Formats: sequence, structure tokens, C-alpha cells
Amino acid sequence: MQRSSKEAKTKSKNELLPGTLEMLILKTLSIEPMHGYGIAQHIQMISADVLTVEEGSLYPALQRMLVKGWVSAEWRISANNRRARFYTLTTAGKKQLGVEEARFSQMFGAMMRVMKTT
Amino acid sequence: MGSVLRRLLFFFRQSQFDRDMEDELRFHEEMKAQALADADDMSGDEARAAARRRIGNALRLREQAREPWTFAPVETFAADARHALRLMRRDPAFTFTALATLALGIGLNTAIFSVAYGVLWRPLPYPNPDRLIIVSSAQQTETGPRTFSTWAPMSYDALHPRVTTLDRLAAYNSIDVPLSGRGEPLQLHGLEVSPNFFETLGVPPARGRAFLTGAAAPDDDRSAMVSDRLWRTSLKADPAIVGQSITIDGLARTVIGVLPPEFSFRPVIPGLGALAETDIFLPNRWPGDTGRNAFLFLLGRMKPGVTQERAEAELTALANDSSVVSAGALGAEGALAQNVHTLARVAGLQQYGTESVRTLLLILLGAVSFVLLIACVNVANLQMARLSARRAELSVRMALGAGRRRIMHQLLTEAAVLSLLGGSLGVVLAEIAIHVTLPLVPQFALPRLGGIVIDARVMAFCLGLSLVSTLLIGLLPALRVSGAAFGEDLALHAGEARTTGDRQGERLRTLLVAAQIAMTLVLLIGAGLLIHSFARLTSVSPGFESSGRDGVVQAVRVTLPERLYDTPERIHAFARGVLDRIQYLPGVKSASLINSAPFGMMFIRGDFDIEGQPKPEIDAGKPKIEAGYFKTMGIPLLAGREFTAQDTAKAPKVAIISERIARQYFPGGPGAALGRRVRLRDRGQWLTVVGVVADIRQMGLDQEVQPMIYVPFQQERESFVLCFVSFVARTATPASVVEGMSAEIRRAASDLPIESAVTMDEAVAASVAPPRFRTLLLALFAMTATLIATCGIYGLMAYAVTQRRREIGVRMALGAERRDVLRLVLRRALGIVAAGLIAGLAGAAGVTRVLQTFLFGVTPTDPITFAIVTLLLTAVGLIAAWLPARRATRIDPSAALRAE
Repeated sequence: MQRSSKEAKTKSKNELLPGTLEMLILKTLSIEPMHGYGIAQHIQMISADVLTVEEGSLYPALQRMLVKGWVSAEWRISANNRRARFYTLTTAGKKQLGVEEARFSQMFGAMMRVMKTT
Repeated sequence: MGSVLRRLLFFFRQSQFDRDMEDELRFHEEMKAQALADADDMSGDEARAAARRRIGNALRLREQAREPWTFAPVETFAADARHALRLMRRDPAFTFTALATLALGIGLNTAIFSVAYGVLWRPLPYPNPDRLIIVSSAQQTETGPRTFSTWAPMSYDALHPRVTTLDRLAAYNSIDVPLSGRGEPLQLHGLEVSPNFFETLGVPPARGRAFLTGAAAPDDDRSAMVSDRLWRTSLKADPAIVGQSITIDGLARTVIGVLPPEFSFRPVIPGLGALAETDIFLPNRWPGDTGRNAFLFLLGRMKPGVTQERAEAELTALANDSSVVSAGALGAEGALAQNVHTLARVAGLQQYGTESVRTLLLILLGAVSFVLLIACVNVANLQMARLSARRAELSVRMALGAGRRRIMHQLLTEAAVLSLLGGSLGVVLAEIAIHVTLPLVPQFALPRLGGIVIDARVMAFCLGLSLVSTLLIGLLPALRVSGAAFGEDLALHAGEARTTGDRQGERLRTLLVAAQIAMTLVLLIGAGLLIHSFARLTSVSPGFESSGRDGVVQAVRVTLPERLYDTPERIHAFARGVLDRIQYLPGVKSASLINSAPFGMMFIRGDFDIEGQPKPEIDAGKPKIEAGYFKTMGIPLLAGREFTAQDTAKAPKVAIISERIARQYFPGGPGAALGRRVRLRDRGQWLTVVGVVADIRQMGLDQEVQPMIYVPFQQERESFVLCFVSFVARTATPASVVEGMSAEIRRAASDLPIESAVTMDEAVAASVAPPRFRTLLLALFAMTATLIATCGIYGLMAYAVTQRRREIGVRMALGAERRDVLRLVLRRALGIVAAGLIAGLAGAAGVTRVLQTFLFGVTPTDPITFAIVTLLLTAVGLIAAWLPARRATRIDPSAALRAE
């Protein structure tokens, strides 16, 4: 979502359903290992700015996933020669991604059926 | 689980985590700034500022990022605990009082528990100790079943090969034998044991070997096994001791084994208590003994799966099977009855003989838990007082969003911190208390003294107590907070709040203090009953004059070994020889001897006959004394004469009887018995009564007087009753006289150890040592409780006065005198105390009956004790309220009215 740089207020964004943020992060990382900023950028880009991930949500989510063992983290040199923390999907994380995807499709399908009724 | 482990690791990496987070956010910020700079064409600084704004509150972000890593309950508890410690530090008076109170309460409980556990419940130091049993016997008589503790060796010989429910059956007999040739001659506490004794216990020796068992094994009868303690002391921890010879009772014996250091066996004699630790074990098979010389305790090990009932049944059947056990050989103390059905009684080794100790310890545990309750109530009250003071602050916090639950958690955490700290101090206190008190415990009172130690189990108990205290202390304040009324009246009557005070809280605290007083009263009454009983006991005269104008009676006891003193003539000569010399020692007013001194260890009693009368139903003691005994002991002669030097072995056989026998069987005045004849055994010689003396108590002040028939020492021919000799001397200088007596004995028999050398005063005092000890203990608890309760009353009244300053100020302004104010406060205190006393009296009336067995001459509801204690506690309560009352009188009315 484009915002004027002068605005500093809190954002009115499309709020993500709880839990889906983690699913999106997992999916993103299934492409390749990334650092936090990269993950946020990726989601924003691919969703054509519909979905914005706030730092306040992103990093706690990443830490939660670290605790649960779905991702692992290590410090590497980024593309522009800066030191950054890269997150990688673990085997458990891959499995979790499958679980979340399935659950999401099921829910989505159900909602669609409700909405399609005339 | 993986996540738990990772979280635990986090605990150690916190600072690293913070650094990483900071770096990560900085990176993100820089990237964002770059993007903004590129997109919106901002300057570097502007971009950074914008980026930072977008990211938002970094601190909050970091906190949120931390959250998944923490164990929420632990973090909360840690934070609350730190807060509690801070609060405690700010209020040292409260902290000190609370911790001291809790330490006392928990410490005393831990100490008593460790004693009770060590004595009653700690598993004995043998393998599978619950399989070990003691077998005693009982016989049905007309007056009911009579239990004997011991068996004749012939019965043991018959039983042990045939019993199938027991793996092994061993026998032992307590003996005291002198050790000589290794420094100072020493009287050892020992056991004669059957060769399979150590196999039955399951304890192999640390050095050497145990006795040989098995039917074909050669007799080990010149061998001995020694305890680790004896080895280290008298045998100088000689590493080559196995195979060496030591002299026991004049005989050379070979040491074949040394027992491990943790081995312990203290035989328990029912009615007497636990004997001293056994130092030497001698093997014996008691060939052909029908029960005249040895009285055996039977120790068995039940086979796995066998119950005590089954073993009892089998042993009873065997004992009554005349093909197994020849009738008349079923030995026990005293006469044997033929054709009488015998019951075997089986008791676990650990429980055997501990019934009275068990009762006492359970009573003490109960008493001491009262003390803990009282202590917890005090601390709870203090907490609630603090809570009342913080009401304003807490209400504000709740209004600002702190959940009620959070505050309750906080209060419980505070209580937990207090209790755990108090508990730790309590453990230290318990350790000290045990170290100081155990040496003072009277000799036979507690078996397994060595097992009393503060170990993991006891600590766990202590921890449990701390948690219970936490609940008791924390629950009430927490509940008050959760109550709807808390804090709400503040919101409505903000200004008045501090003046009207916390009514509900105060009511609750008053109730608690009344409960404290009730419990304290119960304890005080218990202690008072014991004190009263002890006073009655010690006022009983033993019948002899243990101390008087002429000094005290010093007694020195020896046991003559059978080997060297096998004829009565030898014993007579020894006794006479030493006594003649003792009589001329400086400081000796008179001297004599007896074979069974009062308040001593040994006493023989049996039936007797009177010429021309049917056989008396009572038993008489049959002591053997030398001339001058009654004069030395201060026992009044009521008729006739004392024995003299003329009553020799060749002279006519005489006797002196005691008053009880004279009164019952020779009515018509004390002289009526003179000239009549009695005899001490069936078909024995008739003895002419030449004197009547007053009765004495032989075994204890709480016993009845013992009827006696005294016989001259020189006229007794049975060596085995003569070998115990107690020399007695009346002197004003017992210390030097005892030296002289010992010297004379050593002169006559160089290897003879002195078994005991005490004055009769000391012997009597020792006999009342157990009741004295009990009384002291319970009195200590009662005083501790009183102290704590006094603090409780004081605290409550002090707070009440502070809360009512305004009201008191008003009264004074309206004309009340200081005297009236004083009376007001004291009356209120009296009311609370009275309520507590009534509840306490009711409780005491019901509870004190558990003390029944320990009371002498006093009923459990003795009105004198009840009355005195109640008055005492009332006075204490009023004194406790005195200081706050005085402070109330000093209130300046104008200041009180002005202030809020």
C-alpha cells in the first residue's frame, strides 16, 4: 500500500487472519532462504501491495517459528554486502507448510461455497 | 520437546539475543531507508527517520519478539518474587518478625519430624527390613493373656529347624560382659547370639567372617564379633585384629569379624526401652538349657509373600505341639505353666517395643503442628495488615487494568517467598536444635538415635510445610482481594477510607487472633498437665532417704564373673572383704551392700510361703543385704532388728520383711510378725523373721511400693543371684568416697570393671528423666506458641489503636479521661482473649485425653491446671495489649481530629 512519507500514523491495512502470516512466511521461505526485510518485501510485492507485513508482526512471528523449530536462522552477508540474518525452512517447517496450506484451502473452499450460494 | 529445550537455551543467551535483534532491526531499517530514499527521493537522513517511524516502537517490538522464548508463568513468578523481595527489604520490621516466626514454626516441626521419622519409620539398615520380625510368647491365665518376651533355648532349638514360614530364625540374649587386657577394663553391652544371627539380619561383616552355621559346622564358641565402634576405640582400629585374642569375662576369645560402621543393633526390651548399642557378639547354642540361665529373644526373617499372621499361626501351632516342644520347657520369666495353651506373637522388628514412644512422638508432632498453625496465622495477619495499608495503591492499580488475578498471584508469590525463606531458616534451626537436644535425651527413651538426621526426606517434608504455610498465609489476603468489597468502598468514599479503616479485614484478623489464643491455650494446658503430673511424681518418697543430714548415698555396682566367683563362699569373701575396708574410708558414715539396689537394673521377685498360712497371692522381692543396709539407706526399722555380723552362714536363717507383708499377713501391729517363719522357695529352708522395715519403691516413683523379704547376703547360697553386688555408702563427700570405693574393689579384683557409680539421688533422678524430658519439650512448644500468640495480640491491638485514632481523639475531646481510654482498649483485648479462651477450653477438654498414659496423679481434665493456665494466658493477653493501650492514652485529641 502506497503511503505518503509524511504520514506517520498507524496504518489502516488489510489485517491478516492470525496464523496466516506464518503460512505466508513459510511459503516465502520455501522458495529460498531470506532475511526479514526480504520476506516482507516479497510478500508485499507478490500480493501487489495488498498484503503488508508490519515489522511488529513479522519479527515476533519469525521468533515464534524459531521456537517451534519450523525455521532456522544464521547470519550471512546479504546481496549488498551487509550482515543480515537469514531464515531457512527446516524439514519440520516444510511439513507445517503442507499442513497449513491444506487447512487454508479447506477453509477457503468452504467460504467460497457459502459465498457462491444465491 | 524441542521447543522447551530451545527455550531453556535461550535463558543462557539472552544478551546475545538482544544484540542479534538490535542488529537485525538496524539492517531492516537501513534497507527500508534505502528503499524510501530511492522511491521518494529523500535525503539519507530523512529516509532513515522515515524508516524508523515506519518500524514503530523498537522497544516494544523487541519485547514482543522475546515473548515466544519465555515461559510466561516462570517469568511472572520471577518478576513477582523480585517485587516481593523489594517490598520485604523496605519493611525490615515486618520481614524480621515474619521470618523469625516462620523459622520457629517450620524449624520445630522439621526437628520433631526428623526424630519421629528416624525412630519410627526410617527403614532399618538391613536388607528387606520389613521381613524381619520378633517372636514373643503369650500364655492364657485366669486373669487374661500374659505376654512374655523370651523363650527357653530348648524351645528355640525345637522351633527353628521346623518352621516353614520363616527363612531363618535366630535367637539372642542380652549380656553385659567385661573386656579386660586392653587398657581400662570396660563393661561391654553385648549379645549372645545363635550362629545364624547375622545371616538372618543379612549383614555381612566388614572384616573377617561371621559365625559358622549349619548343622555340621564346628562350634565357634571361643570366637567373638565386634562392632566397628569397639574396634576403633578399645582395639585401636588394629587392621590385623582378625585372628587376635581378646579377654572377655576372663576368657580368651578370638576376634573373627568386625561389623561395618553403619551396622547398628540396639535390642528393645519391652517395658524398659532400647538398650545401648551392642558392641560385642558371642556365639552360643545354649546346649540343654531349659530356660533357667538364658532368656532368648527370637528374631526371624519371613519368607517372601508370608504375612505376620501366617507366621504367627504356624509358630503357635508348633509351640503347642508337644512332640515338638517338650512341655514345661517353654521358658519365660517366672514360673512355667504346664499344659497351658501358648500363643506366639509376631511383631515387625521396627515396631517392636516402640508403642509408647510412638504415642509420645505423635503427640509431639500434633503439638508442634499447632505451633506452626499459630505462627502462620501471625504472619497471615501481618500480611493482611500490610494489605490493608496498601488498599489505596492496589485499588488504583486494579482500576488501571491490573487484573484481580494478577494481584492475587502477586500476593501468593509474596507468601511463597516468605515461606521458602522462613523454611530455609527453619531447617538450620532444626539442625541446631537436634544437635543440642539429642545428647540430653534420657538413656533408653529413643531407639535408633543414630537414624535421626536431616536428610533428603526430611527436607522434602520441610519443603512441604513451607508450601502449606504459603497457602495458609497467602490465601486469606488473596481471597480478600478477590472479594467484591475490596477497594470498592475506596472508590466511593475516598476521603473517609483511611479513617473508617478496613472493617472487614479487621474482623477477620480478630477472628484469627482468637483462634491463635485457643490453640495456644490447648498447648499450655497440655504442658501444664505434664508439669503438674511431674511435680506430683517427684514429690513421691522412694521410701529411703537418698539425701539427708548425713549426706547422700553413693552406690557402686559390679557384676562378678561366674568363672572366677563360682562358689557362694568366694562371693561372700569378696563382698565382706571390700565392705570391711569401705566402712573405714574417710567420709563414710555407714556402708553396706545389696544385690539389687533400688532404681537399678536388676530385680528378682517371686512367690513365697508363710508358715501356717495359705500361700500369699502377692510376689515379694528377695534382695540379699549385708548388715547395716537399712541404716545406710535411711529406711526406718519398724520392729525388731537389722541384720548384724552375727548372721553368718552357720547362724540360724533369718529374714526381715517389709511393712506391706507385715500388715497384710501379720495383723496386730508391726511386732506381730517377729518370730514367725517364711520361706522363699518351695521345699526351701524356713527363715525366722527378726525385723520389719518400711516399704520402698524399687523400680520407679510411679510404681506401687514393693513388698520385700530381705535375707542376709552371707546366708544366701545361690551364686547367680549373689554375683550382682551394689556397695552403698552414706557420705557427705560422695566424690572422694566413690574413688575410695572403686580403689578397694580394684584391690580385691583387679580386672573387675565398675558397672555404675551413682548416688541414689542421681538414680532416682534418672528414673524420672523420661517424664522430665517430655514435660520440658511440651513446655517449650507451649512457650513458643505463647510468645507468637502474644505478638499476634499486640499486633492486632496496635493496629486497632492506630485505626481508631480519630475515634479516640473524639472521645478524649468529649471528656473521656486517659483511664477510660485505657479501659476501652483493654476491654476490647479482653473480649478477644476471652473468646479464644472459651474455644480453647472446649478443645483442650477433648484433646488432653491423649496425654493419659503420661500423667501421674492428675486427670486429663484436672481443674486446677485448667484454671491456672487460663488465668495465666489471660494475664499474658492483657500485658500484650498494655503497650498499645498506653499509646492510645497518649493520643493528642486535637492532632487526631485534624489529621485524616
